[in-house]
Amino acid sequence: MSMNDTLRDLKKINDKYQMFHAMTDDDDCGGASFLFSAKDNLTSKDMETCAGSRILEGYHPVFDATSIEKLRKIGGKLIGKTNMDEFGFGTFSTNSGFEIPRNPYDLDRACGGSSGGSACAASVIDDHISLGVSTGGSICCPASFCGVYGIAPTYGRVSRHGLIDYGNSLDKIGVLSQKASDLKKYIEVIAGRDERDPTSMVQPELKTAYRKMKSVAVPKEGIEGLSKEVDSAFRSALEDLKSMGVDVDYIDMPSLKYAMPAYYILATSEASTNLARYVGMRYGHQEGDHSLKFDDYFTAVRSKYFGDEAKRRILLGTYARMAGFGGRHYAKAREVRQVVINDYKNVLKDHDAVLAPTMPFTAPKFSDISKMSALDSYKADYLTIPANIAGTPHLSVPCGYDSDGMPVGMQFVADHWHEDVLFSIAEDWEKQFDLKRPEVSI
Amino acid sequence: MKIGLECHVQLPTKSKMFCSCPTEDCEYPNTYVCPTCLGMPGSRPVLNKQVLVYGIMIAKMLNCRINDTTWFARKTYFYPDMSKSVQITQYDNPIGEEGVYYLDGKKPIRITRIHIEEDPGKTKRTADLTSLVDYNRSGIPLAEIVTEPDIATPAEARQFLTQMIGDIRHLLNIPDDLEWVVKCDCNISVGTERVEIKNVNGMKHAEKALHAEMIRQIAMIKAKKKILRETRRYDPERDVTIGVRVKEFEDQYGYIDEPDLGIYHIKDLADSIKIAESPQNMILRMTSQYKIDQKMAKQLVNTSMDLAGLFEDVAKEFDTAAAIKWVGGPISSNWRTMEERDAEIDLMKLKGFIREYTNGKITDTQCAIEIKSYMTGVDASAAQEDSAGLETLINGFLDQNPKIVADYQKNDKAANQVIGYVMRQTGGKYSSAEVVETAKKLIEARF
Amino acid sequence: MDVKTVQDVAKFAHLELTDEELETYCKDLGDILSYFELLNEAPGCDERGVNPIKVEDICREDEPKIEYDADELLRDMDTYERYVRGPRLS
Repeated sequence: MSMNDTLRDLKKINDKYQMFHAMTDDDDCGGASFLFSAKDNLTSKDMETCAGSRILEGYHPVFDATSIEKLRKIGGKLIGKTNMDEFGFGTFSTNSGFEIPRNPYDLDRACGGSSGGSACAASVIDDHISLGVSTGGSICCPASFCGVYGIAPTYGRVSRHGLIDYGNSLDKIGVLSQKASDLKKYIEVIAGRDERDPTSMVQPELKTAYRKMKSVAVPKEGIEGLSKEVDSAFRSALEDLKSMGVDVDYIDMPSLKYAMPAYYILATSEASTNLARYVGMRYGHQEGDHSLKFDDYFTAVRSKYFGDEAKRRILLGTYARMAGFGGRHYAKAREVRQVVINDYKNVLKDHDAVLAPTMPFTAPKFSDISKMSALDSYKADYLTIPANIAGTPHLSVPCGYDSDGMPVGMQFVADHWHEDVLFSIAEDWEKQFDLKRPEVSI
Repeated sequence: MKIGLECHVQLPTKSKMFCSCPTEDCEYPNTYVCPTCLGMPGSRPVLNKQVLVYGIMIAKMLNCRINDTTWFARKTYFYPDMSKSVQITQYDNPIGEEGVYYLDGKKPIRITRIHIEEDPGKTKRTADLTSLVDYNRSGIPLAEIVTEPDIATPAEARQFLTQMIGDIRHLLNIPDDLEWVVKCDCNISVGTERVEIKNVNGMKHAEKALHAEMIRQIAMIKAKKKILRETRRYDPERDVTIGVRVKEFEDQYGYIDEPDLGIYHIKDLADSIKIAESPQNMILRMTSQYKIDQKMAKQLVNTSMDLAGLFEDVAKEFDTAAAIKWVGGPISSNWRTMEERDAEIDLMKLKGFIREYTNGKITDTQCAIEIKSYMTGVDASAAQEDSAGLETLINGFLDQNPKIVADYQKNDKAANQVIGYVMRQTGGKYSSAEVVETAKKLIEARF
Repeated sequence: MDVKTVQDVAKFAHLELTDEELETYCKDLGDILSYFELLNEAPGCDERGVNPIKVEDICREDEPKIEYDADELLRDMDTYERYVRGPRLS
């Protein structure tokens, strides 16, 4: 399908899959050399940017996020901003203030989250790459559910200038695509130091030369609690890896089980401060009743436009960082982050990556998601969270399909700044893996 | 009574603390603003290095222990002028801690900490009471200096502020004519319970607010009423403090580390920064080093740091006695006139006169006249005449009032009577410094 | 987790909760926080990092620059004579 065909069909595609919050009206790609989409928490000058939240309706940023700016510079055309869980708060993209993206393999199922729209676009649209953002697994989870490749590079590798913050010490911008080779190709473009984001200024140069993955460590904690079909798909993938010449060792990483609570404490603490700025002034909804006293005015706007999960995480984060309440949790969570990092460093001295399934189950039906409690869905992130809290680069590759034809993914975690070994295994894996594209009809 | 202060001073950088917007005043609201200081989603902060430098300088001046590593924290509170509803400030590991600053060279006031933070914008009210906000100020760097409750009286608080702010102005080279407001939160307890008066503008108001609150607390104690631990504000028009309704958790800001900036190793930077001696420290050092009266040291330093420097030069080249006699004498009394003349003065030349005197080439009186003549531009013979005229006038007065000489031995303020007399007689022909100096010389000659 | 605490936290966070929300969040936060008690048994660590990687000494020089057109920044804001409009202060 040509780029102009894609543009022409874009509205119809979106009607079916609901991956875009905002879309281009152009039906001609002009001089663009490729099309891309970006998660709606990355600012774009030409498209409204809401980060999945109604409180930001009407926000037209005056600047492009660095990652978007860099893709435009090399000839990319931004065709849409993808639907997501509000501010990234979710595992299924069902916590969106707008439309909920549908899984390309089964429209009654979720795309995963929070970069669900990005994974959906990458899966459905030919020759397309989508920028995603991961805080606790928000690139690998939807990549796994939508059967595409997704990479979240090392924390600080890609400038966060222009990213609407969820948890600033956790957020990472990455790439999703059907093609493994796109990961290296586009991370190389968007990576690099940016004076507008201090945390991007300490990175060593990105290595892109081929480096074969020789050994992986599979933590026992990473193969507990899996659905039967994920378990068997993963085991068969391990056999394939062995036949590719990759050593597989089973290890213990006891700190992994503490990563989930520590992550939610840190992420929501930071989130509750990031979301404090949304008060119905300066941008987004500003139409409240100014005759109210400021406390009441702010409260009214926030209560009206924040969604259910945003409120829950604001409450949790505010509680966790208040000295009078759960302040001790925040200090302990910060320590646990260091413990997890040290554990990864230890294991990765002798192995190129830590490997486990990306998600413990395949994409669930919307009807099942609505029955899950908040804690249930937090727990569902236990496999993706450790690498995210540690800031280590991680990659999800499709590794099989369940009996309903839903994709299964597995996740490789490398040491800080070692994206090269992930790029290489993704390309090696792609050569021998039988990718089943979803049937796309519009 | 115990008083502790939290003072906020603006740091004189050219650009804001976390963005490049200019810090200069702007006639139009919301002009020197950008996505960062407006708190727009997607923007982020980048630290201005000069803010660290100024923070370290003040920490050094206040004799603080400077932390090897420092970082920032987020303080969350909701107000229309706070564009992110978060202020980037410091909590753990501020730039400096555990300092001490000497009031008048004697009384130690312990400094708890000094940290750096960003200023919010400015609000104003409209007729219908809704607010209008100007974010030009948003992100201007501030230093916050927190003292221990070592201050004894409201007057002492003002004295402390005046002296410290004078020293900081000198340290950071802030021009005398630049309006530079210091804002304070004042904590005061007459009995056991502490009351905080928030957001007091300027040193005069700090004293008045503390005084008003002191009177209130004393009255409460006399009436056997309980003083509440609370936050109040000062109303300068009515000269009273007023309790402000504080929400249950207002003093809980839920600080977390600021994750967008990382940490700063400032040991090397701190070691590389040498600060000029503060006027106050110079007074102290000169008093003990040259064994001179603190009043003289103070007069020299407060007249001009250059004058004090010349004193040290002369003491080094000749001796302390010569420095006291000449720099503390005629050079000091003619300094203002010299400055007002705006003439090119070569301090070497002044030292030349002293050298001629110590070599015995000119007499005491000749030397004094040469100095005066050179500094004031009056020719030597006229200066001599003037000087002789002044001496005659004073001697005549002393002859008639011998009691002054006796009084002077008990208290040197007695010399002031002479000034009044000379001023009435001559209508300001001689500077008061000159009159005092001559009077002292002539009185002391009569012992 | 009791209702009063959730109310206090909500007030601080500037959220007004309906009775139904209050009940839901009270239960959810209770469940979540009791699960998070797991942290108590987690090993501690002396290292203190603000970020997962070492971000150290990143500053810019003190050079004023005007990078955005202020009028463009104010374009979508509710303003009066260039002032940003807000609610009552008291």
